Amino acid sequence: MGLVRKQAPQEPEEALPEGPSAEILLSRLDDPDPDRRRESALGLVGAPEAVPAMLARVGVEEDPRVLESMLTTLAAYDTEDVAGGLAVHLASDEAGLRTAVAAALATMPRSFPAVLPSLLAAPDHDVRVMTAMILADLQHPEAHTWLVRMICQDPHPNVVTGAIDALLPSATTDDVQLLLDARERFPDDPFLRFTVNAALPRLTGTP
Amino acid sequence: MTSDTPTRARVLVVDDAATVRMYHNSLLGEAGFEVSEAANGLEAVEAALGTPFDLYVVDVNMPKMNGYACVEALRSETVGTAAPIVMISTEDRPGDADRAYRAGANLYLVKPVAGDRLVRVATMLTADRSWAAEKDVAA
Repeated sequence: MGLVRKQAPQEPEEALPEGPSAEILLSRLDDPDPDRRRESALGLVGAPEAVPAMLARVGVEEDPRVLESMLTTLAAYDTEDVAGGLAVHLASDEAGLRTAVAAALATMPRSFPAVLPSLLAAPDHDVRVMTAMILADLQHPEAHTWLVRMICQDPHPNVVTGAIDALLPSATTDDVQLLLDARERFPDDPFLRFTVNAALPRLTGTP
Repeated sequence: MTSDTPTRARVLVVDDAATVRMYHNSLLGEAGFEVSEAANGLEAVEAALGTPFDLYVVDVNMPKMNGYACVEALRSETVGTAAPIVMISTEDRPGDADRAYRAGANLYLVKPVAGDRLVRVATMLTADRSWAAEKDVAA
């Protein structure tokens, strides 16, 4: 008879401490202590009922760490409502807010395409520059195509340059003509010219 | 003891876009500046803590630490630089320049900045580096 390992006596399973409810966590988003607000924001993962209230807090939260936690939680939902609620802040006067929101949107490949048309048509060219920045990091099979469209169609040189900058890491020989056309479209923009001229040798394989 | 040999002014270019860094590096490098690069505000602050620069050229929209926060950090007691800071951004809404000046920038330029203008500005702002000597004496 083989040896039978004696099993350790089973301990009764310790019940996990139950965390505060979504309602309590939501109320703590107004707590004066930023650490408490941050914990609440992170604790609201998996509580879709909290999304509207969190979206409403994005524009008013002043602590960057709390804001980042809130955006991390919201981005995890990756829904069109969240994407739309965040995209409005790309036009914010607060640089910290708009860059944090852009970083969050870049992690939302499922829902970001839904807000893309309105961002590409935004009258504020800075919003379109931010959109190019998002597409640079967005893990989506169409991201390259959207950047190509921006380079071909956007009337503002800063947007086109931003889109070229975003495209370059994934650019191939197929994009050479696109860059040449952009350079021709904005002959008086020194930075755009420099960007294209710097990229061409790598793409064409010539010095 | 001081050396009579003039040293090249050191510039830190802070921008998350690699092509912008390359562009500014190329322009300023060809004009005789010694150029270093940082990809965001945090990297800039780390670089400034290790090396005193004579001029900072800082973008606004950057991940991790945006340009305004970066300039505030550079002017804070921790870094305490008195060197001139130029902010360059695509943002030209009313108030953007005010925000830059409040943070501690000396100049706010809107992209695209012509190469010769950037070099002229850099040359002008680094011509008198007496603030560096004052800081050394104070230290």
